[in-house]
Amino acid sequence: MTELAIRTEHLTKIYSQRLIAVNDMNLEVPKGSVFGLLGPNGAGKTTTLRLLLGLQRPTAGRAEVFGKLCGPNAVNVRSQIGYLPTNPRLPGNLRPIEYLDLLGKLSRLPYQVRKPRISALLRAVGLLSATEQRIQTFSTGMCTRLGLAASLVADPPLLLWDEPTAGLDPTARRFTLDLIRELGKTKTVVVATHILGDIDQICDHLGVMHEGRMIFTGSMQDMKKRLRREGFSLELEGDTDSIRRLAQEVNNLEGIDAHLGAGQTLIVRIDNERGRSGALAEVLKLIDASNLSLQAIHSGQNATENAYLQLLQEEEAHGFHR
Amino acid sequence: MDSTDKTTKLGTRMMPYVAILQHDIRALWASRLVQLWLTATVVLTLVLSLANWSKFQDAPMIASLLFPYLVFPWFFVVVVLGVTPVSGSRAEALADGILSRPVSRSGYLIAVWFARVMLVWSIYLVVIIPFIALVTLAKRPVPEDTVTIYGIVTALFLVGLVLTFLVSLGFLMGTLLRKPLLAVVVLIFVWYPISLILSVFSLEEFSPISLAQAVPTQLRQPWRQVEGEPKLKIDQEDLKAFSSLSNFFSVLSPTKPQPKPAKPDFFESEEFVNFSLLRVTLGYGIPTILTIILATLSFYLRDL
Repeated sequence: MTELAIRTEHLTKIYSQRLIAVNDMNLEVPKGSVFGLLGPNGAGKTTTLRLLLGLQRPTAGRAEVFGKLCGPNAVNVRSQIGYLPTNPRLPGNLRPIEYLDLLGKLSRLPYQVRKPRISALLRAVGLLSATEQRIQTFSTGMCTRLGLAASLVADPPLLLWDEPTAGLDPTARRFTLDLIRELGKTKTVVVATHILGDIDQICDHLGVMHEGRMIFTGSMQDMKKRLRREGFSLELEGDTDSIRRLAQEVNNLEGIDAHLGAGQTLIVRIDNERGRSGALAEVLKLIDASNLSLQAIHSGQNATENAYLQLLQEEEAHGFHR
Repeated sequence: MDSTDKTTKLGTRMMPYVAILQHDIRALWASRLVQLWLTATVVLTLVLSLANWSKFQDAPMIASLLFPYLVFPWFFVVVVLGVTPVSGSRAEALADGILSRPVSRSGYLIAVWFARVMLVWSIYLVVIIPFIALVTLAKRPVPEDTVTIYGIVTALFLVGLVLTFLVSLGFLMGTLLRKPLLAVVVLIFVWYPISLILSVFSLEEFSPISLAQAVPTQLRQPWRQVEGEPKLKIDQEDLKAFSSLSNFFSVLSPTKPQPKPAKPDFFESEEFVNFSLLRVTLGYGIPTILTIILATLSFYLRDL
């Protein structure tokens, strides 16, 4: 049986008897996974994380982290969690070292452990040159990086990161995604986001939320399997007539459908019955025989996005049965 | 297990709360409100001392310096200090920063409450003690008074107790009402007519005005009452001094000087025997503890 980092049972949060933020959620996050909590804005992702931290109290149901019940005074649960809120609000009057030192003390880290760890973290998130500055002078990206360091001060086994790439420039975003991938080797990481590209790159498990409900949980492979089998998009170099001729030849192959895409691309769809590698090999042979040259192959580029949109459509189509 | 181990374990357990306390005190000292309050306290105490230098004896003079803490205007500042840490945008920042760490809500609340109480006491004592020393030690053109060390200590303690209660009341309102401004307004509406409310229950001796009136007599109390010695009576000169002080503050506060009632007031009647230090200590101490318990409970049940 898989060991679980997070488990919720019928978790429900209703604000002021009016707004259902989390609706009867049953969630299981395997230990050691990088779990993407995906959903549009207002789906209930942040509320779910805050319920796990005990910052909010569930209206019904329960949540457990490493088998311990979550709640406002669950210090033993929070000691296992490193939390990064969206656009973290940090004490502007402090300097990064002072802030991390305060957080280290909150986690009861002795001086000998705290100080070297703070230095290592500041170096890791690239804030060594900003240690003299007060936090109020930091940019959004710097605040997020400091927030990342803050969530790692106590070296917790579970990380709950809410929109970790929000407001980051491409370099910082790449750094954050690499960091998640690296941390995922030793920790359980839950990343709440609505950016599908991030989920696609880093997560091995996924939960999709919509209007407070968990409409899908499973591995990324399961998610992609739900989608009708996509084909390939081939970027070609040559004249349009040759590409059109190639499309006709590909269409003559069994179980393969091809049509021209935008620019000089050929979109190839493969039937469910056909093997993808065999079909691709046949198409490549045809390209080789033509006077076209292959520039790039894109396979299932938007698979997650399509699967996600498909899920949302299905969920909405279920109507009352939801 | 030896005592060093126990101390280390206790130190580790208390580390987050001591850190919150230190952080909060540092943040408070850096705040404009506290800096302004400190400056204004010094200025007002200086003005009161100079204005009454050659008018009041030691006891009414010290009581006049304590009056702003008990009645007006410092109760307002103290209440605001109590309300702010757990309401408004601060609560959200708090959730992101401190309460998502391994810290219990009750522990956090008590640490922050203690930081505020410490700050209020320090500002109050840092300003008032030098002035009391000056008033009692300086040769002033007024008759000698019989102020005792015991009297000074207990009077300072009483005023500190009222300030502690006000911080706690602010805390409770801050946890019950999320909007700090609303909490402050509610507290002003509760605190201003407090004398009236207390008199309904025959508890006038607990009202801040009554305490302010009792301070001069308390300042002259000896450590032990000698057997057969007549009990201290309320001094009519003190009452006159109190009346002029009330008029002075009525310029600042909405309270108008009261016309002399036909029936003698609590402190104008007979001997000064109804005032009990123990009763007043309990009268403010127990509600303070209850307020903290209620604030903790309310904060525990609240979403952040």
